Amino acid sequence: MSYLHSFQSEWLKTKRSAAAWLTLAGGLFIPIIILTDLLLNYKTLPVAYTAVHFWERHFSRSWQFMAFFLLPVGVILASSLIAQLEFRNNAWKQVLTTPQQFTTIFFSKLLVIIVMMLQFFVLFSLGIYGSAIIPAVLLQAVPFPAAPLHPAGFLKTTALFFIDCLPIISLQYLLSLQFKNFLVPIGIGLAIFMAAVIANSWKYVYLNPYSYCMVNFSRLQGRSTVNVPLHTFALSYFLLFVVVGFVLFIQKKEKG
Amino acid sequence: MYCIETINLSHRFAKNEPVLNKINLQVPDGSVYGFLGPNGAGKTTTLKLILGLLKKQDGSITVFNKSIDGNRIEILKQTGSLIETPSLYTHLTAAENLAVWQKIYQCSAKRNADVLETVGLSATKNKKAGQFSLGMKQRLSIAIALLHNPALLILDEPTNGLDPNGIIEMRTLIKRLNTEQKTTILISSHLLTEIEKMVTCIGIINKGELLFQGSLHELHAKQQQSSTILFETSDTGRTMQIMQDLSLQPELKEGMVNLRVTGKNTIAAINQQLVNNQIDVFQIYTFQNNLESLFIDLTKKNA
Repeated sequence: MSYLHSFQSEWLKTKRSAAAWLTLAGGLFIPIIILTDLLLNYKTLPVAYTAVHFWERHFSRSWQFMAFFLLPVGVILASSLIAQLEFRNNAWKQVLTTPQQFTTIFFSKLLVIIVMMLQFFVLFSLGIYGSAIIPAVLLQAVPFPAAPLHPAGFLKTTALFFIDCLPIISLQYLLSLQFKNFLVPIGIGLAIFMAAVIANSWKYVYLNPYSYCMVNFSRLQGRSTVNVPLHTFALSYFLLFVVVGFVLFIQKKEKG
Repeated sequence: MYCIETINLSHRFAKNEPVLNKINLQVPDGSVYGFLGPNGAGKTTTLKLILGLLKKQDGSITVFNKSIDGNRIEILKQTGSLIETPSLYTHLTAAENLAVWQKIYQCSAKRNADVLETVGLSATKNKKAGQFSLGMKQRLSIAIALLHNPALLILDEPTNGLDPNGIIEMRTLIKRLNTEQKTTILISSHLLTEIEKMVTCIGIINKGELLFQGSLHELHAKQQQSSTILFETSDTGRTMQIMQDLSLQPELKEGMVNLRVTGKNTIAAINQQLVNNQIDVFQIYTFQNNLESLFIDLTKKNA
């Protein structure tokens, strides 16, 4: 029960926070751009909407920008901002003098970030679907997509992208618990991400924990030379960073 | 019985000098304990150790007769605190801030309204904490500390940055909590004048050493002892000699002879001797140390 109460408390803190707005805006940003593009090029839509692979193309187009840039950067920012809520408001000392185990505090906060990311993925998935349907609803000349939607396949791909961003969540969480100045975790995160972008075509790019969303997308496109169990690597890094983050958190000599 | 007791509590940061040196703090049950000391004396470090925010190095800490080791959660269930600056989520309203902690303490929702009423913020419960004045922030922080109806309240410099009205309001609130709800309150400050009107016990700390601990009555007694009698005469040298002949220990200070407070008869005898020795006595008066100068004296001696 204490985890549930702690989670409820942590979740309430995110209300109207920068991280919450970022999740909302980040999840809908690309669908809105794509919808705008579709509406501006409405003349081409009647043909495009009858294509056999309409959904695959639409899904791939949406994920391209997301996987390569917005998702990693968004996760870096959102994860760091959640822990920063306590530093910015001088609230660590209050949190740590509540009758809760340090373990409960650590994992409740991590769970909030994970649930927030899930919220982001749900919003983005609904956005992808909505951006395809809205032109057909608004414009008489545009038919509803003729190709059948394969929700199970899309859900699986989305779930794998979620697993791929878990190492970013856990390392950013670890860093943001250690540094009072939020620019430090964000700076380190962006540097690791930039290193992944630069090394994208390198065969050992998978060693970089921030590379998995990009590599996974390239692999879906058949353009990646990386041939390792990517998602297992992502989960392993996630577990490693969570354990290290937890040990550092409870070993801190001065809390609050 | 003591609500908080520390035995030989010592602490040092890295390789620096010890910040606390064998502190034996004794906060009686139901008291308002004023923990006084200049900035950097070790007050916040002591309070952080009591609350488990700092890892204990040497000595022992008991709260509610339980050691902090292994009983942290149980102790914190009955303890409310406000350490240094207010801990408020500025993007949330006052009511939402309370709801954050209410979820953890699992107290009734009505309690939120009660504590807002206690600190006089009911009318502003839907205002964002970021728009509050410092005084309102301090009051909201106290409301949070009171949410679970704690038996012990630890307040670290709660009057910092408050205007005189805010200080009076805070004082009234603390007195009320102590008398009506029997809450034991440990309050730190660097200004004696700010807390002397509300505390029942006082501890004075400087450079990590506890210089005085006792009731306010005992402090007043110490104040009496530290008062001096000043003699202004025509011949300070001979005045000093006469006093020394009477086995007293006078001091010369700014052209006057200074003597620790002594009985009325002794003063009369000294005066008699001075007159008999043809020394003109211009004035004899008692210089009574106020508590503030006593506090400064104590901390200066330790400096």
